[in-house]
Amino acid sequence: MVKRLTPWILVVPASLLVLLLLILPVGATLLATFADAKGWAAPYLAFFNSGFRRTVLWRTVEVSLITTVISVVLGFIAAYVVAQMPGRLKSIMIIAAVFPLLTGVVVRSFAWLILLGKNGIINSALLALGVIAEPISMLYTEGAVIAAMVYLFVPLMILTLSGVLEGIPKDVLEAASSLGAAPFAVFRQVILPLAMPGLIVGAVLVFTGSFTSYATPQLLGGERQMMMGTLLYQRAMVTFDWTGASTVAAIMVVVTIAIVLVMTRLARRLNPLAA
Amino acid sequence: MTVSLTLDSVTAHYGSTQVLKDLSLAVAAGELVSLLGSSGCGKTTTLRLVAGFLEPTSGSIRLGERDLTRLPAHQRNIGLVFQNYALFPHLSVRDNVAFGLKQRGLGAAERLKKADAMLERVGLASFAERMPAALSGGQKQRVALARALVIEPPLLMFDEPLSNLDAKLRVDMRVEIRRLQRANGTTSLYVTHDQEEAFSISDRVAIMNAGRIMQLDRPEVLYQRPANSFVARFVGFENLIPMRVSARDGGAVTAQTDAGATLTLSQDAFGAIPDRFVLAARPDGLAVTRAGEGRPAGIPVTLGIRTYLGRAYQYQCSTPGGDYLGNGPLTEPLEPGSSAILSPVPEQCCILPPED
Amino acid sequence: MRTSLHPALTITASLIFAILVAPLFIILGAAVSDTSYLTFPPQGFTLRWFTNIFEISAFRTTAITSLQIAMLGTALALLIGIPAAYALNRFRIRLPSWLANVFVLPILVPEIVLGFSLLKSVTISLGLPVFLVLLLGHALLVLPYAVRVVGASLASFDFSIEEAAISLGCPPLKTFFTVVLPNISAGVIAAFILAFITSMNDVSVSLFLTGPGISTLPIQILAHMEQFFDPTIASVSVLLMVLTVGVMAIVEATLGLTFLTK
Repeated sequence: MVKRLTPWILVVPASLLVLLLLILPVGATLLATFADAKGWAAPYLAFFNSGFRRTVLWRTVEVSLITTVISVVLGFIAAYVVAQMPGRLKSIMIIAAVFPLLTGVVVRSFAWLILLGKNGIINSALLALGVIAEPISMLYTEGAVIAAMVYLFVPLMILTLSGVLEGIPKDVLEAASSLGAAPFAVFRQVILPLAMPGLIVGAVLVFTGSFTSYATPQLLGGERQMMMGTLLYQRAMVTFDWTGASTVAAIMVVVTIAIVLVMTRLARRLNPLAA
Repeated sequence: MTVSLTLDSVTAHYGSTQVLKDLSLAVAAGELVSLLGSSGCGKTTTLRLVAGFLEPTSGSIRLGERDLTRLPAHQRNIGLVFQNYALFPHLSVRDNVAFGLKQRGLGAAERLKKADAMLERVGLASFAERMPAALSGGQKQRVALARALVIEPPLLMFDEPLSNLDAKLRVDMRVEIRRLQRANGTTSLYVTHDQEEAFSISDRVAIMNAGRIMQLDRPEVLYQRPANSFVARFVGFENLIPMRVSARDGGAVTAQTDAGATLTLSQDAFGAIPDRFVLAARPDGLAVTRAGEGRPAGIPVTLGIRTYLGRAYQYQCSTPGGDYLGNGPLTEPLEPGSSAILSPVPEQCCILPPED
Repeated sequence: MRTSLHPALTITASLIFAILVAPLFIILGAAVSDTSYLTFPPQGFTLRWFTNIFEISAFRTTAITSLQIAMLGTALALLIGIPAAYALNRFRIRLPSWLANVFVLPILVPEIVLGFSLLKSVTISLGLPVFLVLLLGHALLVLPYAVRVVGASLASFDFSIEEAAISLGCPPLKTFFTVVLPNISAGVIAAFILAFITSMNDVSVSLFLTGPGISTLPIQILAHMEQFFDPTIASVSVLLMVLTVGVMAIVEATLGLTFLTK
């Protein structure tokens, strides 16, 4: 009897933690948006009727999409080079990617605060070169948020993709060139399709990470460039509009889960090894 | 259009290690030559140099009149069959075969026609829609073969193509490869470490060691008349006995082993015998007989373990100069520990130059 | 061996890597600048911003809280995550296949939503102590590392070894500790490191779970930045980067850094 239950006994503590502290609380948050006194869809109508909140949602989507595209492109180039490098140079490059990755989001966003600030290196350089007469304000713009976000996610992309690229057998690439494929054709017809599932997984991580981020938009976007994460915090902790905050949370959850489900399904369909 | 492949004084390095030493090789038009040797002998390096995945330090590689030496791999037009098949996992069997045609700018309809015709030839017509992951090892290798053949290359190269298949399939596949190669008359270079495979499939075999070709010849010649001790050992001459001539009397040559045993050899039977040489023999080239009066002269030995071979007994024979393997007749089984005489059978032995 | 890389690619990649590392050096420069505002390149040299950290007690107390939460939260996650990972691999046939997905939820649900929901439903509705909810929240956040990273090790573990030990008379629990655990130690170490660093750096969950007198270092840094724009934060960041270097040294010594690309 005990033996039959062993598997269950082992999974119960961890399952309970997830159930009690994630499924129930988050479920309660989502349910709260449908239990409004003004009708079940009222919080969503309120959200989408507010021009400001629509702008925030649209800005978040835009920033996340741009961040994803730039991170994928830069990450792919860097990973492609990493995968081809000999041992020593490769470790140096991997260290250069891992170090920022393990350094917290606050520190990394803060670095861009210094870079883009009034006394930052970019302003100093432009002043010294005489391009500008006085410091320009780069902080609290969409560009600042995107720059910091790309910086945040490129290391993740590099590590994900260099693993994927190294997994492509070398003789498959040699077979392609022996059959007459020029380097770009090898890239376009062999490497890219084989890396596509990994690319999609990486892109999903970047998009959902950007879409739900808090610290970076808070530090580099501030009130002026409010995004979904900062809006959620502001609704909950500044205006104490719990229903409003829950609505933002619900939209985040739905968008995140929808994207993960759709894209992982797509990645699986594109996976050549799943016969 | 069949052309010859010529490698002229090719030297290659991995970093600072020299892996090919001044290697020259000529494969005649339509011929299949194997490079045979153990791992690290330079056979795969040679193939990769011809394919264009490595650059030689010096020397030149020509295919017919075309100089390949510095040509990028994708412009060489060589059909390559890989050890691990190297099929494109994201493409169907048909698209794998059509890949090379696509690079050559053929239209979709013509690619399809040619690919399907080639799949028909290798017996995989019904597998065209499958993905490589859904194929067995033998089927994968057929696709790889079809993919290399369909571009109608002037040169085919095989890199241990059968080593991942089981024994039965290996034999079937090598017959198949030989059939397709003959039918097209395509000049071919075949790399393997399997002697039986090389001998059965090739017009000529190059036995390689430490970046050099030790001997390049027809399999029959290699098997019966190795040119040196390395090749002799490689093709199963287990007894290599260094000897020194002490006297010549007309056609009869008296020679001694290092341990002082004396043999008298007839130049009529063995051919010309230099002053120093190595007597090479397989076990059936050394006859084991009981020592005693009226027996032929030979190397006196003490017998060790006796093994029954079906057609003969095989004995481990020890002498002060070293241990040998010899065969004795089934009619006269000898006991381990007894004394015996080892005498060379002329038509089964080779006289080789001394080792350095 | 064969470098068919276009020079433009190599140059672009080198630039990307330079830009990845450069901002962290800029922080280092800003931390020693003898100015009362953040600037780079540094003007003058001073270590007073480092000593300033220790004069602000909030940094010290929140750093201690962060370390406590990261250690205890990671330990708790491993304590309940390793048995779950073991059961999911060992008894794959006897457990429903959806169960493994339950432990992916903490990654799938946005952290900030998790933090907000914990505040609303647990801290406020149930009135649990702030430190306890913070700890449990972090344990939940890092649970996927325990289950999935250790699970990856277990997936390649040959359970017939375990059966061999039991057939030789070793009791099951002892078998786990003497036979299974040593063979999955790399996974456990990796899970510990990833979980610890995730917990130390977390903002989005902690944001809602810190309360009067109890906060974590990243939250304290954010709070400090809203009021001051001096190099103190740069020097705190430098200390955190030193911690990162330490973690990387441990990773390199135990697993090799390349494990992070897998």
